Amino acid sequence: MKNSLSWLGFAALGAVGPLAAHFIPAGMTLSLLAQATFAAIFALGIGFLIRQNGTISFGHAAFFGLPGYAVAALLPLKLMPLEVLFAAALVGTVALAFAIGLVVVRVHGIAFGMLTLAIGQGLYEAATRWRAVTGGHDGMTLRLPREVFGLPVKLLQQPHGMFVAAWIVMTLCLVAVWLFARSPWGRLTEAIRDNEERVRFLGYRTLLPRAAVFAASALLVAIAGMLSVLYNAFISPDAIHWTASGSGLIMAILGGSAVAWGPLLGGFVYFFLKHAAGAYTTHWLSIIGVALILVAVAFPNGLAGLMIRQRSRP
Amino acid sequence: MLIQCLNGLVYGALLFSLASGLALMFGLRRIVNFSHGALYMLGAYLGYSIATKLGFWPALVLSALALAGLGALLDAAVFRPLQDRDPLIILLVTFGLALIAEDVVQTIWGNDTHSLAMPALLAGIVELPGSSFPVYRIAIIAFGLLVAGGLSLWLKFSRVGLFVRAASFNPTLAAIQGVDTDRVSLMVVAVGAALAGASGVVAAPILSLAPSMAADILVDSFIVVVVGGLGSLTGAFITALILGQINVLGIVFAPEFTALLPFVIMVGVLIWKPTGLAGNRV
Repeated sequence: MKNSLSWLGFAALGAVGPLAAHFIPAGMTLSLLAQATFAAIFALGIGFLIRQNGTISFGHAAFFGLPGYAVAALLPLKLMPLEVLFAAALVGTVALAFAIGLVVVRVHGIAFGMLTLAIGQGLYEAATRWRAVTGGHDGMTLRLPREVFGLPVKLLQQPHGMFVAAWIVMTLCLVAVWLFARSPWGRLTEAIRDNEERVRFLGYRTLLPRAAVFAASALLVAIAGMLSVLYNAFISPDAIHWTASGSGLIMAILGGSAVAWGPLLGGFVYFFLKHAAGAYTTHWLSIIGVALILVAVAFPNGLAGLMIRQRSRP
Repeated sequence: MLIQCLNGLVYGALLFSLASGLALMFGLRRIVNFSHGALYMLGAYLGYSIATKLGFWPALVLSALALAGLGALLDAAVFRPLQDRDPLIILLVTFGLALIAEDVVQTIWGNDTHSLAMPALLAGIVELPGSSFPVYRIAIIAFGLLVAGGLSLWLKFSRVGLFVRAASFNPTLAAIQGVDTDRVSLMVVAVGAALAGASGVVAAPILSLAPSMAADILVDSFIVVVVGGLGSLTGAFITALILGQINVLGIVFAPEFTALLPFVIMVGVLIWKPTGLAGNRV
């Protein structure tokens, strides 16, 4: 019963975006909504890592920018069709994330945060210094062909088309995260998160599942990065700076990572909060800082935690 | 070549005086201060403003004192009230503070880079076989050694030092033996913040001041602390020196990949020894 209710919820969620897009006049709001959807998928990946592994990454923006850079750098060489290139960039990013994961998931808690920050900044430094391939601080513009995945690229670069596409991708990602959490793998990683030593006593190996979760969260983030590159046809080191990782983390925490949809909510709220604040003042860094402190101290379960508590109160 | 090694020592000395504060705070309270780079940046900018009025030396002293006060405040207002919560909360709160500090610096001093004149006393040049080297850079190396020597004497011979060593060896046992972490922590965090501020002022004449300086040095000092072994001063000292050399030698031999080298080494060390070079020792 609860199961079919959830599926109904997902279907409704998937339908809401395209429907809403129909009524919102094309322009600024719709464009913002499209970008907010990328942010939400980004946050979903970071929240997934927090939920399944219990670790906080300060370097996930690297996986957001990496596939974009790969596509931008390899596109002019015309080695393969764009669709294959996209898939290869995603696979490459996930493979790299898995390799990094094998190392970083050995450390826990605070040290993990410091390590991921260091790795993310290392890639950022590489992107700014390796000018011949990455264009340095200026970034790179992509010359996309006319069609991709059978759709005209023009459609995907318009707010309306991209918002609908991104929203559907987002819903699919949410379903995947939800299914993973209910699968034996999901249960296993949650058990490891709670007590790795006991799970090892039960005879499971704990390194591979944790590294796999790390790679899966990188995949979600990479999908968000891919959509963003398709839409903007531009990539720059700003996308992988540590403040970008920090924003993603804030979205996930703001929304609350205890439930799968929390980070999505956090992503949208954060994105529009930042935009509204940016319209009135230049001090949005402080506003975000204060918001993060407030949420971390007063509502560690985020908005989702707050809403669930309200509902379950007698 | 000699010059390059000396330059590496200069950067290593700066890194150590910053990372030592991080290591002490971790040893005592098992926390990581994400705003440590911001403290360094605030120290540098405060020093810049004071130095334009009073000169370099008052700037160094006053800025370190101001940062000590800020550190004490940080301990009393953030670390102490949150010590029984998940350590990740302190991580997030100090991250928020770092964002606010960046905004404050941008608002007061703007986005342009500034630079601080070095003191006249140290403005000379030393003749070395084959080349010459600025006295000021040698003074920075001396500063780093002074910090290392001073801290190790303090930890070895003072009562506070004894408590810090006990707490970082085993917090529970130390507490059972009557070590009151709160009483020493105010002082330790203040000292760590003052060191960060002083490093900022000391670094200002050779590095330019910009709002991004906090993040740049924070990342390097994190690597120092993690590779050296969380909470270990000796480990941090050795790693800082090695990292300083790598940075400079890398710029000479492989400029494109220097930035990546420290990260590669960090990953290598952690595969080999997950607790770092000198894990769990002060």
